[in-house]
Amino acid sequence: MDLSVNGVRHSVDVAPDTPLLWVIRDQLRLTGTKFSCGIAQCGACTVHIDGRPVRSCSVPVSAAAGKAVTTIEGLSPDGRHPVQLAWMELDVPQCGYCQSGMIMSVVALLKRHPNPTDADIDAEVTNACRCSTYHRIRQAIHVAAAKISTGGGSL
Amino acid sequence: MSDNDLTMPNLSRRDVLATAGALVIGFWLPPRADAQIIHPEGAAWAVEPATEEVNAWVVVNPDETVIVRIGQTELGQGVWTSNAMMVAEELQCDWSKVRPQYASANRDAKEMAPAWTLKVPGNGAQDPSGGGEPEFGDRNRTGVSGIPDSLYRRMRTNAASSVKDGRYYLQLAGAEARERLLLAAAKLWGVPVEEVSSKNSIITHRPTGRTTTYGKVASLAAETPHPHPERIRIKPPSEWTLMGTEQKNLDVPMKVSGKAVYGIDVHLPGMKWAAVKSCPVYGGKVKRYDFERIRTEPGVISAIQFPIPEPRLIRGRIFGGGVAVLADSWYQAKAAIEKMPIEWDVPPENAARNTDNIRAKLLASLDDPVKASVNLGDCDSAFRTAAKIVEATYTVPYLPRARMEPGNATVLVTDNRVDIWLGDQSPQETRYSASQITGIPETNVYVHLCHLGGGYGRNGNGPQAEQAIYIANKNRGTPIHLLWTREEDFINTTYRSIGVARLRAALDKDGWPIAIEARTATDAEAPGANAGFDGAPRYFAPNYRFSIHSARFHIPVGTRRGVGAPAQHFYRESFMDELAHAAGKDPYLYRRELIARTTLPYKADMIKALDVAAEMSGWGKPLPRGTARAIALEEHGAEAGHHATISAMVHTVSLGKQGQVRVERVDVAHEEGFSLVNPLSVRKQIEGQIVWFYNDAMYQECNVAEGRIAENNFDRFLLSRIKEDPPQINIRFFKTGHWMNGMGHDRGTSIQSAITDAVFQISGKRYRDLPLRNHDLTWS
Repeated sequence: MDLSVNGVRHSVDVAPDTPLLWVIRDQLRLTGTKFSCGIAQCGACTVHIDGRPVRSCSVPVSAAAGKAVTTIEGLSPDGRHPVQLAWMELDVPQCGYCQSGMIMSVVALLKRHPNPTDADIDAEVTNACRCSTYHRIRQAIHVAAAKISTGGGSL
Repeated sequence: MSDNDLTMPNLSRRDVLATAGALVIGFWLPPRADAQIIHPEGAAWAVEPATEEVNAWVVVNPDETVIVRIGQTELGQGVWTSNAMMVAEELQCDWSKVRPQYASANRDAKEMAPAWTLKVPGNGAQDPSGGGEPEFGDRNRTGVSGIPDSLYRRMRTNAASSVKDGRYYLQLAGAEARERLLLAAAKLWGVPVEEVSSKNSIITHRPTGRTTTYGKVASLAAETPHPHPERIRIKPPSEWTLMGTEQKNLDVPMKVSGKAVYGIDVHLPGMKWAAVKSCPVYGGKVKRYDFERIRTEPGVISAIQFPIPEPRLIRGRIFGGGVAVLADSWYQAKAAIEKMPIEWDVPPENAARNTDNIRAKLLASLDDPVKASVNLGDCDSAFRTAAKIVEATYTVPYLPRARMEPGNATVLVTDNRVDIWLGDQSPQETRYSASQITGIPETNVYVHLCHLGGGYGRNGNGPQAEQAIYIANKNRGTPIHLLWTREEDFINTTYRSIGVARLRAALDKDGWPIAIEARTATDAEAPGANAGFDGAPRYFAPNYRFSIHSARFHIPVGTRRGVGAPAQHFYRESFMDELAHAAGKDPYLYRRELIARTTLPYKADMIKALDVAAEMSGWGKPLPRGTARAIALEEHGAEAGHHATISAMVHTVSLGKQGQVRVERVDVAHEEGFSLVNPLSVRKQIEGQIVWFYNDAMYQECNVAEGRIAENNFDRFLLSRIKEDPPQINIRFFKTGHWMNGMGHDRGTSIQSAITDAVFQISGKRYRDLPLRNHDLTWS
């Protein structure tokens, strides 16, 4: 099966019903995307397919064939995507395990709502963070939106 | 890979194959065999440095980067940064050049601590110039308390004690290294060391203005012993320049780029994956399984049965026996094991347990005649003369930590060496387990610490390492990566015990307590059963009795965030609200007066916390209908006069008529003792713990049905999301005259009593059992 991940084409030999997450982690060794619940509840495994956020633990790899998959590793070459910069500015992560998925969800949010309201954030950022870093996540989302709207980077 | 690879001396390097950021590690056996793994960006484990260390905590490289060895585990509480700050404060190095790295638990098995770390300077917890008198306790390094005498002293991460227990020797380590760097420069220049000083890694000879750098003299310093290490003094807070400032956590850049290497991310050449099923009824084991049914499934290699992990290796807890399936990939192993028929051999008495009969037994235990832990005055007489008696019974459920990273460990056992990669809050204990299971001495066990996807109590208190070591020991020469599903993670963890409490108070005609009696009950093995009520009452009553009751159940209990305090603070503070309402008095002023009546050593600090939080919140100012404020005290150690952590919070809570709870704002008054180390980390901890305990108040519970934990994934064990985060969290710090007890686990507990009291104020409904999702919160 042919898969395009972070702009790189891969040919993977897996059963088509294998969840996309495990192809990304085990076959492609992109381990920034995390496994946590396995039932699409927590969002730690969030990646983009054609720019839209999906919970890759519950999406078969076949659903991504021929489409563009983006993971945390593909967000920026140097870790300086505006959302990542905002995350560092607010010192968001604690244990950090959920943050790859969280950041991917937030990038998707900002694509739909370049200047999100708190209500937009509440409705669309449904990932779980067990350290409960939500307070800084919300501030960082607003900082990232401001950065992008003032030319400090793009999505 | 075979055993031979590990013993071939001509292999001079490891292979690291980096495919688009992923990590594959090869092996070699180095001259000093500690953690000789190439250090991929984002890995945290100890690596043999290229430059000789100055001391066990400090390596200065020729490029001026400074490796600081971290003996605790980063769980998100900030030790990766705060431990490094404590060393760097004294070292006077350039903070931007500091690169933390975990200390080697293997070296800790082989070397004893330097003598200069063994004595705490100063005069106790109320001396700002000293180390703050940590309790040495049991010096057994595989124990659960105390500070051992092995190289890195205490390597466990628990009880919010990393600063409290480690600060004096970490400051000493920085100071010892600085003084030796200065000695080296003085020797090089042939000048008296008194004429040499340093700042930001630059050493200056003051009379001539000549300079050099730490990196240039580090090799010489490594060979220059300190002539009088016993004379090294550490800086008091008044002299700190780095400690006490807000520093961003040094691991954040790798955690926003997906580069941080967690245990789950470790790949080794030839590695096989293990998926596991453990008996869901604790104390049960495998009766039979049918591997033939899955033998031909893709990638499947073998199945291996494992016994109930040895309780003595995991603090006496009894989990279940189980079976693992090994496969080329984890998903193959997991898919196969789910198709494999397994029959369990389950102790019938355990299978007969459920939440109702467990709780009923605990409630009944409250009437058991036990010796009181505290018995001041004569409660029985006081109750006979009371103008009014108030009695309330509270209950809280079993609760797991439910960290986001499911339990995992990667283990390679060969003839005389064990390598383990995992995130772990207690590598000294894991090292001991590995030695006991394999028969290989601890000095040949290498625990390579990874980043940890949440901890909240010995990384789950479960047997992830012990299961993996057992399986790898049966497959010597093959690296085994064991990974639990979320459901297995719920089985293989210890729980905060279910708890009940009955509180009674005798009030005089003015509503002040003349007697308070508190009876609490948990599983007999639960830690922290004395929290919040021990020693002396925080709220004065001339007659006071506190007794600890218990019963024994089969659910393994352990140290979840806050240990005993979250439940006990919920009981105590809820009851204070109930008493204030019964007395017709303001709950803030009622608490304040009752603390003022005590003779507790830190009563002024407790009053200050209440006053500051009340003032911040606008206490007493009118609120719209459907909104209420509640105040509560949080303290750890306030009764004893040693270390303590004292704070108070006011929660402003609204309740929609359909029962929607919303915490609108939280005003936090939190002590900083003499000084915090990294106030930014403390702010983050407070913000996070408020929501952690919001979850406890509102949603989280694990019930027992037919002896099993019923809620075992995030569809039924609920985690709040960002929409429930309080829009306003205001934090103000105030100084006190003692060193703090730490604050990484038992802050924010007051949200539990605050929400239940706000619900009462608004709706008239008083609920005393958590979580609130089980109750009708509607009102009109």
